[in-house]
This record gives sequence, C-alpha cells and structure tokens, in this order.
Amino acid sequence: MNLMADILINVIIAFLAGSLLLGLHRKVMARVQLRPGPPIVQYLLHSLKFFFKEVSFPKTASMPFYIGITVILAGIWVTGVIVGPVAKGSLMILFGIYAIFKIVEHNSGSSSGSPYGKLSCVRAVFSAAGELPLFAVIGLVFLKTGSMNIADVIAYQSAHGPLIMSIPLAAIMLFALILTKSPYSPFAITKGKDIVSGFETEHYGVLRGYIMFSESIAFYILLWLFLTLFFGPISVVGYVIGMILITIITGVINAITPMLNPNHSVMSQITIAIVCIAGTVLMLVA
Amino acid sequence: MKKMRIASIVILILSLLAILYALVFSPADWIVYTIAIVGIPFFVLSIGLLNMSKPKKDEEEERTKEPFIGY
Repeated sequence: MNLMADILINVIIAFLAGSLLLGLHRKVMARVQLRPGPPIVQYLLHSLKFFFKEVSFPKTASMPFYIGITVILAGIWVTGVIVGPVAKGSLMILFGIYAIFKIVEHNSGSSSGSPYGKLSCVRAVFSAAGELPLFAVIGLVFLKTGSMNIADVIAYQSAHGPLIMSIPLAAIMLFALILTKSPYSPFAITKGKDIVSGFETEHYGVLRGYIMFSESIAFYILLWLFLTLFFGPISVVGYVIGMILITIITGVINAITPMLNPNHSVMSQITIAIVCIAGTVLMLVA
Repeated sequence: MKKMRIASIVILILSLLAILYALVFSPADWIVYTIAIVGIPFFVLSIGLLNMSKPKKDEEEERTKEPFIGY
C-alpha cells in the first residue's frame, strides 16, 4: 500500500478508536459511580463539535506559540502513529515522543498566561519522573529481546511466546503509565480538577477540539504499544478486545480512586517503577 | 481575524497539496514522513480555523482583547 495512504488510514483509525475508547472510559467511570453517564460516542461528537465553535484568544496568550503548541501536540502523535502501527520502528522514538509530550504540557500551560495553566505547567515538570516506568520498560524489553525495534520484539514473541509471561512486572509498569495517561487518573496531576482543566484550561473552541483529536490518538497509541510489546503478534480482533478490556480496567480504577496530591502521585509512580525494575532484573538473572 | 483566515486558507492549500503529492507520486519514505508529520496537523487545524463560527462585528473587539478576570 502507498505509505501516505497507510499513514492517513492509521491516523483516522487511531482518532476514531481512541475517541470511542475514551468515551467508553467515561461511561465505565459513570456506571461505577452509579451515574448513567454520557453515550460512548459523546467524546467523538465533542471533538467534532468543537471544530465548529468560535475560538477567541486570551489577551495574555503568547502568540503564535499559543496555537503552535497545539500543532506540535498533533505532530508528535502523528509521529507516534508512524513509529508504532505504520513502521513498527524504534521504541526510543516513542520514548522521545513522551518526553516531548511533557514539554508540550509545560508550554501549553505557560503559553496562555493563565494561572491554572501555569500551575499545570509546573506540575508537568514535576511529573516528568512519571515517565521513568516507560524508560525502564524499554530497557527491560531490550535486555530480554536484544532489540529496541518494535518489529523485532514482535518477531521475538512469535518465536518465544508473549513477553507478559516472561517479564510481567515490566507489563505492570507500562500499565501504570496507561493509568497515568488515562482521564481522571489518580496520577493525572497536570489535568486535576483543582486547576480546572490544567494546561488545557485556556484552549477552547477549535483549539480544544484539536487537542482532543491529539489525545484520542495518544490514548490509542499507548494501548497499541502495551498490547504489541507484551502480547506479541495479535490479530485486529485481539487488539480490539485488549483495548476495550484495558479501558474498562482503567475506568474502574479511576472511578474509585481520588486524585493523589502531586508529591504522592510522583512518589507512587517511582515506587512502582523501582519495585518492578528490581523484580524484573531478579527474574531475568534467576 | 482576517489575517488568520488568509493564513488558514494558505496552510490548508499547501498541506493538501503536499499530502496529495505524497499520495500520488510516492516519494522517498523520509519525505512522506515529513509531509505526514507537518502536513496532517496543519491540515486539520486549518480546517478547524476555517470552519469555526465567527463573532459578530460588534463583539469582535471584546473577544480578542478581553483580559482574564478574577485573578
């Protein structure tokens, strides 16, 4: 297939599937909290609806950076689609994407000039330690398979079985990262409701729809990465079932867990990472 | 707002042409990746900026010059 067509199809799939999964996530949370909740398709409809809403720019916004940062956010997740489902390339590029995502959170928060955004911007720096589990997962997968290339990791698993069986603690670490990135997560300190919507607070109208478009792709890519790295070559049906299951699990956890304060959030993530790294290294040595 | 509209139209045309070029002529992979990473985000944004509803003439000033209130 033509490479550009492949990329476009995967971006559209990532947006649609990610939007529906985020809608399902919200529905699950609502049902656990004994509320009816919005329809599953609501997140997708919201994303599209915002593209027809008027946007206005705060007087304090740093232009054109205020708009540019949303373009960078979309750009890094299109890159995520290319490195992941399209090219099955290097895990280090995906790690780089998450590092840039932290910068985007930081700069999106500061570019509006809003104090809510600025608080989120400070928390984005603070929570950068939350990316430690991802880096550790990449390192542990490399120790086990001898490669940081997603295509090689898939080939390794088709020969030796899924990595979830041999390095389960690394899978727990990556699951912790999924939990961190899911909406209303106990670790989602950059978008805590105590600071309204965090770094997104002053991006509304078209720009909010644009950010939601990027976030849908981001959620899809994270779930795709988890399933690909730990469950090996699986079919489309396997991806669909896996993504729905992970979304339901994170929805239940987020529905019953209050958001931690920034200190506890970061320390919890680091603790999970250290325990899982030590455990996995011991398993690999033994 | 008028400047933004013109910029959006130019970006929409450029990104659409770049995407069509990659679709039709299948250039080297790195060129396709560059076009996708830059072109797709700008294409989506420019569509949004052109589609969005516009403020009424007498409200336009306050929509762009209104400072934050309350903090």
